Amino acid sequence: MSGKKENSMLEIKGLCASVEGTTILRGIDLDVKAGEVHAIMGPNGSGKSTLANVLAGREDYSVDAGTVQYNGIDLLELSADERACEGIFLAFQYPVSIPGISNAYFLRTALNAVRRYRDESEVDPVDFLELVRSKMDLVGMDEKLLHRAVNDGFSGGEKKRNEILQMAVLDPKLAILDETDSGLDIDALRIVAEGVNALRKEERSIVVVTHYQRLLDYIVPDHVHVLSDGKIARSGDKSLALELEKEGYSWLQADDAKAGNNA
Amino acid sequence: MVAKTWTEQVHTSSLKFDDQGAGLKRRREHALEQFMSDGFPSRKHEEWRYTPLSRLAEGPCSPLLEPSEGIPESSDLPIEMMAKVVLLNGEFRQDLSDLSALPPAVRIQSLNQMRRTDPDQLASLLDQFLPQTSHPFHHLSDALLDDGVHIEVVEEGAKIESPIHILHIIDGQAHSGSAHVTGLIQVATGAHLDVIEEIRSTGEVLGNLRWGIGLDPQATLKRVRAFRPECASIFHGTRVVQQQGSRFDDLFSSSGGELIRNELHVIHEGTGCHCELLGAYVGRGKEHLDHHTTIDHKVEDCTSREVYRGVLSDRARGVFSGMIHVHQDAQRTDAKQSNDTILLSDTAEANTRPRLEIYADDVKCTHGATIGELDENAIFYLRSRGVSVDEARKIMVRAFTSEVFVQMEDRQLSDFIVNEIQESIQAVEVDHG
Repeated sequence: MSGKKENSMLEIKGLCASVEGTTILRGIDLDVKAGEVHAIMGPNGSGKSTLANVLAGREDYSVDAGTVQYNGIDLLELSADERACEGIFLAFQYPVSIPGISNAYFLRTALNAVRRYRDESEVDPVDFLELVRSKMDLVGMDEKLLHRAVNDGFSGGEKKRNEILQMAVLDPKLAILDETDSGLDIDALRIVAEGVNALRKEERSIVVVTHYQRLLDYIVPDHVHVLSDGKIARSGDKSLALELEKEGYSWLQADDAKAGNNA
Repeated sequence: MVAKTWTEQVHTSSLKFDDQGAGLKRRREHALEQFMSDGFPSRKHEEWRYTPLSRLAEGPCSPLLEPSEGIPESSDLPIEMMAKVVLLNGEFRQDLSDLSALPPAVRIQSLNQMRRTDPDQLASLLDQFLPQTSHPFHHLSDALLDDGVHIEVVEEGAKIESPIHILHIIDGQAHSGSAHVTGLIQVATGAHLDVIEEIRSTGEVLGNLRWGIGLDPQATLKRVRAFRPECASIFHGTRVVQQQGSRFDDLFSSSGGELIRNELHVIHEGTGCHCELLGAYVGRGKEHLDHHTTIDHKVEDCTSREVYRGVLSDRARGVFSGMIHVHQDAQRTDAKQSNDTILLSDTAEANTRPRLEIYADDVKCTHGATIGELDENAIFYLRSRGVSVDEARKIMVRAFTSEVFVQMEDRQLSDFIVNEIQESIQAVEVDHG
């Protein structure tokens, strides 16, 4: 491995977070280096989505302890939009529909906001359309979805493809995919995964949050972490995901029970 | 007493007009008599419960404005126009208007000229399209009737391709006061006309604008109204009579008036009519935006669709009162109405009152009203894509209001009105909390 690759993109230490007074994350440590793909797995309620949303800056969650360094800056000091402009992208588990705003307008507004932040000139409509068309091919998206309202009346598969399209257009450094596989049939899953794989590159890190192993058949991770009760219970390589597929998450409860007895 | 001064001034001004025909004379006398006895209604009056008129009645506005001496700048619209009609302080100004490209299928005349040359015809048109009712602003416009415009598509089946631009300029820079304009629009059988009406104003003024519209069988009229009158008070009333198979589309947007009262009364007299009343309003400061609509479904097989949406910040107040009256003979009526409001501050206020009166048994009528806040989930979605919180909120306001017009087939007109709204949103403080 090159020396550059050893640099941490994202370094989480002792992260604790709560929502409306209920603690969800209880001390997360995670180190993601540039170019790596990390999978975060775990049973429902283990805190996977909370972790994804805290990293993206959703204000419903409060960070109670811990630090998050992102490319050497204190991520927790930044607002959600500043994080996006710094290159963090969250693919939503439930993409939001916005009637009255076209997908094209949404994408162009986002791209220009990011470009302005980076002191780059705004993209003109013709260049923009060319860029979007090339990226739409990547996720096999129909161009007419560009002129429809954002996610309004989109099928589950179309919504998730739209997320990956946004990722492709915004070109983030760190992409967090929150349950991108949920609600997808196997064909849609493959198309979305292929889109993500096409976006893998050395300077980009990807954190894949998923309940099921099947997405990882397509997006093969470098590291797998299992989240349980707000903590990382185990970390390993891609074989850990296969192990989970076979055994389910029940061993976590067994471990927890043992830990409880020992305490 | 200041309020008395208003009625006295109306009295004095009204008596100065020398009407040629008996019909016009009768209308003026009747209206004056009514206004002298009723004046402006108080808040106890059901129809005016939410409309604060005391400031107007006691304020510095006089009933009439002097003709403006300066020639105000009037920018052109980004749409090709068939003709431009400029009404400056209520006066039809031929010198500022442009009727040179008007085809023979369309006639445009000043009401002032008609009062002199054709008073009996004018009186009968007014009696037909603007019958006298007990309404304070109607009393005023009839008592002070001086000028206005009569637009008529005379040729059956004529499709007038480009819109007619009607621009009201109310110039109160030198003196505050009121401008009263009466307009008439008639569209012949099977003909089509587009109209764009704009209001610009300076100073503390009252614009009292009133339209009577008649659509012959199969005629269609599309009207866009874009009001950004700064600090003026605007009363705008429209009465539309639709004959068989005709269609009336009204696209309305307003912002920035101290008090805007928009009244629409659509009467379906012939079968198979359709009307589409679409409105979006953005209020800030202490603005008051008031919408009163009545649709009279008098005969069978008519349809109507009404969507009004408002966004209110600061201490702005929005009122929507929508009456759908389905008469006994109006079987198979299909009427839809909705009014949705978003409040951007704790001190903004919305009053919404959908009203249905149904006397036929085979009808479909739906109505709904909501009052809410911006979707925080959607705002986070935008922010997570790099859009600042202020811009995200403005985008959501734009999404909410422009959605009213998305189903419009005429992209040119709907884009125009969406841009109008967009410009007013830029001025709105959408800060949260």
